[in-house]
Amino acid sequence: MVKSMGLETENKEIENNLREIARGLLKEKKVDVIIGYMEGTLPLLSQPIIIDSEEDVEKLIWNNLCYVNLAKYLVPRVPKFVNPEKGNLTVGVISKGCVGRGLIHLASENKINLDEIKIIGIPCNGVVNRQRIEMEIGEKEILEVSVFGDNIIVKGKDFEREFPYDEYMNDLCKTCKIRKPPLVSKSLDLCVGECEEYSNIVDDFSDISEFEALTPEEKWNQITEELSVCTRCYACREACPMCYCNLCFVDQNKPVWFGKTTDLPDVFVYHLIRAMHMAGRCVACGACSLVCPMGIDLNKINRKLEKIVKERFDFTSGLDPDVLPPMVDFKLEDAQEFALEED
Amino acid sequence: MEKVGAVLVVGAGIGGSQTALDLGDAGFKVYLLESTTSIGGVMAQLDKTFPTNDCAMCIVSPKLVETGRHHNIDLSINCKILDVTGEAGNFTVRVLKKTLYVNMDNCTGCGVCGRACPVEAIDVFNEKLSKFAATAVKYPQAVPLVYAINKDYCIGCGICKGVCKANAVEYDLEDEIIELKVGGIVLSPGYDEYIPPEGNLYGYGKYKNVVTSIEFERILSASGPYTGKVLRPSDGDIPEKVAFLQCIGSRDFTGNGQPYCSSVCCMYTAKEAVIAHEHMHQIRPTIFSMDIRAYGKDFDKYIIRAQDEYGVRYIRSRISSVNEDPETKDLILKYETEDGKIIQENFEMVVLSVGLNPPDDAKYLADKFGIELNEYNFAKTDIFNPVQTTIPGIFVCGAFSSPKDIPETVTQASAAAGCVNTLLYEKRDTLITEKTLPPEIFVAGQPPRIGVFVCHCGVNIGGYVDVPQVVKYAKSLPNVVLADQNLYTCSADTQTIIKDKIKEYSLNRVIVASCTPRTHEPLFQETIREAGLNRYLFQMANIRDQCSWVHMNQYKEATEKSMDLVRMAVNKARNIQPLERIKLGVTPKTLVIGGGITGMVAALNFANQNFETFLVEKEKELGGFARNIYTTLEGGNVQAFLLDLIEQVKAHANIHVFTDAKIEIINGYIGNFKSVVIHGPENTRAEFEHGVVVVATGAKEYEPNEFLYNTNDNVITQSEFEKVINTTDDIKNKKSIVMIQCVGSRNEEHPYCSKMCCAEAIKNAILAKKQSPTTEIVILFRDVRTYGFKEKYYRMAREAGIVFIRYDEDNPPEIVPEGSKLRVNVVTPIKDNILINSDLVVLSVGIVAQKEDNEELGKLLKVPLNNDNFFLEAHVKLRPVDFATEGVFVAGLAHCPKTIEDSISQANAAVSRACTILSKDEIEAEGKIASIDPARCSGCGMCIDNCAYNAIELIEDRRFGSVAIINSALCKGCGACSGNCRCAAIDVAGFSSKQIYAMITGRL
Amino acid sequence: MTEPSVETKQSKNKEWEPKIIAFLCNWCSYAGADLAGVSRIQDPPNIRIVRVPCSGRINAYFIIKSLTDGWDGVLVSGCHPGDCHYISGNLVARRRFAILKELLEFFGIEPGRVNFMWASAAEGMRFAVLVRKATEIVKKLGQNKKFEKKW
Repeated sequence: MVKSMGLETENKEIENNLREIARGLLKEKKVDVIIGYMEGTLPLLSQPIIIDSEEDVEKLIWNNLCYVNLAKYLVPRVPKFVNPEKGNLTVGVISKGCVGRGLIHLASENKINLDEIKIIGIPCNGVVNRQRIEMEIGEKEILEVSVFGDNIIVKGKDFEREFPYDEYMNDLCKTCKIRKPPLVSKSLDLCVGECEEYSNIVDDFSDISEFEALTPEEKWNQITEELSVCTRCYACREACPMCYCNLCFVDQNKPVWFGKTTDLPDVFVYHLIRAMHMAGRCVACGACSLVCPMGIDLNKINRKLEKIVKERFDFTSGLDPDVLPPMVDFKLEDAQEFALEED
Repeated sequence: MEKVGAVLVVGAGIGGSQTALDLGDAGFKVYLLESTTSIGGVMAQLDKTFPTNDCAMCIVSPKLVETGRHHNIDLSINCKILDVTGEAGNFTVRVLKKTLYVNMDNCTGCGVCGRACPVEAIDVFNEKLSKFAATAVKYPQAVPLVYAINKDYCIGCGICKGVCKANAVEYDLEDEIIELKVGGIVLSPGYDEYIPPEGNLYGYGKYKNVVTSIEFERILSASGPYTGKVLRPSDGDIPEKVAFLQCIGSRDFTGNGQPYCSSVCCMYTAKEAVIAHEHMHQIRPTIFSMDIRAYGKDFDKYIIRAQDEYGVRYIRSRISSVNEDPETKDLILKYETEDGKIIQENFEMVVLSVGLNPPDDAKYLADKFGIELNEYNFAKTDIFNPVQTTIPGIFVCGAFSSPKDIPETVTQASAAAGCVNTLLYEKRDTLITEKTLPPEIFVAGQPPRIGVFVCHCGVNIGGYVDVPQVVKYAKSLPNVVLADQNLYTCSADTQTIIKDKIKEYSLNRVIVASCTPRTHEPLFQETIREAGLNRYLFQMANIRDQCSWVHMNQYKEATEKSMDLVRMAVNKARNIQPLERIKLGVTPKTLVIGGGITGMVAALNFANQNFETFLVEKEKELGGFARNIYTTLEGGNVQAFLLDLIEQVKAHANIHVFTDAKIEIINGYIGNFKSVVIHGPENTRAEFEHGVVVVATGAKEYEPNEFLYNTNDNVITQSEFEKVINTTDDIKNKKSIVMIQCVGSRNEEHPYCSKMCCAEAIKNAILAKKQSPTTEIVILFRDVRTYGFKEKYYRMAREAGIVFIRYDEDNPPEIVPEGSKLRVNVVTPIKDNILINSDLVVLSVGIVAQKEDNEELGKLLKVPLNNDNFFLEAHVKLRPVDFATEGVFVAGLAHCPKTIEDSISQANAAVSRACTILSKDEIEAEGKIASIDPARCSGCGMCIDNCAYNAIELIEDRRFGSVAIINSALCKGCGACSGNCRCAAIDVAGFSSKQIYAMITGRL
Repeated sequence: MTEPSVETKQSKNKEWEPKIIAFLCNWCSYAGADLAGVSRIQDPPNIRIVRVPCSGRINAYFIIKSLTDGWDGVLVSGCHPGDCHYISGNLVARRRFAILKELLEFFGIEPGRVNFMWASAAEGMRFAVLVRKATEIVKKLGQNKKFEKKW
């Protein structure tokens, strides 16, 4: 997965490329604004930036700390990119694979118009599992994070630790098959930089098979233990590019769908229903897990969702805006092995 | 004489019921007479229907309930026609209503009498395979649900009278004679099945394991004698090898059966074979047939699936004998294969696929109504209008005019209604009495005051559930101000009680805990409406059908369950609100797309009813496909008919004809469309409003490039040949003509039968033979599909010396030019090589859909196409000319290949269906429909694709941006949209989330 | 009134019996349940039926709410695929149910808690047989206590 040239060289190369492309697009007025990543205010973080001039291009960065799914910034809950005189602006989006998928899926849900988007494709090499590193460092303050060779080097006041990137990569990135944004074939001019045509994604989902083999009781225990710390801060929802409802079901009244407490049944149902809402829509960016202040790992659930729709409906989200998502489509011959039958 | 706005429909099978519903909906008073004791006819007896394998009962019973309850339909059972006088527009009919010995007004259909009856009678519905009581209904879902005493079996013991708490049994009731004044008559008595002579035919009646196909249908049915298990009548074992013998009593020139083809047996046999294998996987069916006549829409695909997926074996042979092995009761079949071998094979069960006979009382009916019968004793009909009998004002539909399947019957049922509409349109709404209802009491905002009426239903509930305890419990529930018990809550006197209690206690919600809402909810809704409550302020708790009857030995549990069900109903009732049925205006104008025979017939019938009609034809001339057809197989002069039709259409003041025209825009919905047409050499733009759309865009001939068609002048198509024989006498110079069937049909590219080519080939061959008797004519075919009465012409052709040679799809004939001749080499299925030196090869090319045109129009109208690019109707069986999108209809070749007569029937049917809308000033939307909260909707559009009725679209809302909106005129209230809505923006009135949540919660 | 008192007719069944909520589509399954009654096919008294227009109406909230509210089991029944009174409502629903069923299991809910089935208006016997089967499955699982609130 990690190329031999070493991570930092690779990241630098990507960063240079994307700056060049961004500069070109702005110069030639092919886009009005570009959304990308900039240095974070703290080590181990990055933050999104929106630029509209060539000078600001140098602020754009790319490294393994660029967690956020930038597609989120184009959904309706965020004010639209509109110029009162010009109308809708054309937006360039620095897109790793999952950002591209997010944009494409949002287009299939009529949320964005791909004609107003330029996908600036980059080949992602994953993001680090921030929480895991923070956990291992413990209470100590992290002052600097850098990448050297294939390791992540974390420095503090009186310590320096190396973490092998292969191991400390975000779990979803380890299984990622779509590192570059999908090439939407019918509008080729949509994509600049590196995009790729995906014909058929092969995935054995072996990473969750161990969990799936557990008994219901064991699964229940593990899942509830994981979820029991949830404070319902909804950071997962806020980070998710697919969570754009005007009023989330948990915030609704008449009827109150489920309790609004942090008791386990209510927390459990929140995550179960959210998973239900993500089926065929999750683009496997892992943003939900990465932003969770309690360190809850939601990736297992995301993987299960991917598996269900892939195996049942041969669907991978965010590859083609013209393919109907599984909850919209149906076939007479869909599998129904789950239905009760007479013996 | 003054016309009368009432119609008599004789026979209440699926055909008669459809006619009655169409006419009732169009504002006519309908007298629907049935000779047996319940409606539904043969369809109610079927297990599944082809080609979709739909459950027959599921699809037919809502229709029957609707027929039974329709306020314009007066249904009488156990009737016989006495005499008929008068003429079109004004008939007088005297009818004998035979008594059931049960007072229909009192009988609640609870069935206690039948269970108490000590006498066993034969169960005719289950084809004598099981027994019944002498006091019975025909089948459990019967409409009307009224028990009848069969005097042939009744011993007069009086037990039923004793147990009937509704006082419905009256032994001294007498027959009565009624006189009806009607303007039009539709005959739909159906057919009678061919009954093989006992013992003489393949051992039927002698060997227990030889059954007829209708008996087998009941064996297959989940509600049949063996609850859907396929068992041998002799020993109840599961048969493995089952043989189906085709053409029993059909295509029989020996005099034992009928000479015609019964049209439906090939398909119902394939269906029975498939279903048998589905029910019991060990069953391996074999079908012995002469031809496989799968000529309808998607029928061929069904046969292929039967063979490939269900292992159904087809053998082309007529069985020579069936003998029983006296030990095993197995049956030994002897038959000759195509290559002449005699084979003896054992089967465990034999099914005789019996044909359709004219109804037993065909002659009686013909005599009474003065109509003529044809040579086979079916109703004789007009050569171009298959629903017109020989007497004006009297129409026929369904199997009474010729053997036919359900969709054709339903089409004809609507077609007959269409003709009645044209005859009596001025008299619509003249005999309909609208009930005057009190204004609705305003209840919004008031706290619920619930009244609960718990029914004893005689002993049906009271005997198995502690009703007083349920009442006591109901009283304890919040907002319940009254709980009471009744002996029969559905009886007429209880309706008065309910109305009084509503006033006395100021009830604003009513619950009845009794039987099933599927049959009784409308009755109680009517009652509370009469008391001034909105009809939706009603709930039912089903404590009989789904409780007392299924837990007859668990008094305590059944009582507990009843209490739970009542509580759930109360919880729901606390959350129900009055609903309004939105009314929408209707523009009484029509758009007919396509100016062929189908479109013109439809346009003319609309116009004759004073509906302004816009007829749009893409070619420069009217006429369509029929311009290339000279005669029909039966001898109808198509060209004369067509010219006359064109003249009438052009001359009609109510029809605007647009030729060389293209539809640019169709906007709107049922009753309120607005369209733009560009037409003529100067691309003139026409804009108009209309209430309905009829799609009659036709189809085209397949353009062959096989069989040297493009390279050799002596290879022509059937329609080119038709022109030659009708306009020249070139045929006399030809010594030998070869016709090749199924060119561009029934292959991979076009996996369907084009239906008309066999008849066309035989028609032209006979004509050619007449013109030049010395010309040798050979027809190379795969199956000869001269269904119905067309079989006669097949025989005629053979007698005239026309040679028929069969070939297989995998081994098509080869043509090699030799000088001015063509050498045709054909390999028969048994691998005989036959060489024919021919002067002319005629290709019977199939019919193909106009793919691009249909796709374009499909998008404009939001209606679907099938895999072969023909338009896809709303329901293959029961809504053959409707689209799922309301107010849009399809007819003719655009729907699938068919004959001219069938197209005309569909045109008339579409007219009738449209009249159910056009006849009204306004139409009412359903009350229980879905709606979207724009503040919650995030406009993802998932619901749009989930909606089967195209009722949802995305709009730009000023406040909320892009949101989905539901058109209440199109919504059917299924809720498929709401089930997937993540934002929970969609709710369904009458089944709202709040109501369902209330039922789920508060369990203890 | 002729009905016997609770005591005399009471079946002596001391065993724990599950309570199951059943969502039935109006046109096929609800009619099938009625037919079971009309045919007097005896089935276990554990289910409480909620009538809905179409299985397409049944969303995940209803099913999960039933579990969190303490019902021991949920049964959902619609028309056979292809038979839907509303053309394709049950086909839309079938995908939803397939996903929900897999997710419930993944979250550790016993596979038998929530059962799905198809039954037509003519299948009174099938309806009764499957209700019996579902009841037995839920009974074997025991009480649904997972969502009891601790305080």
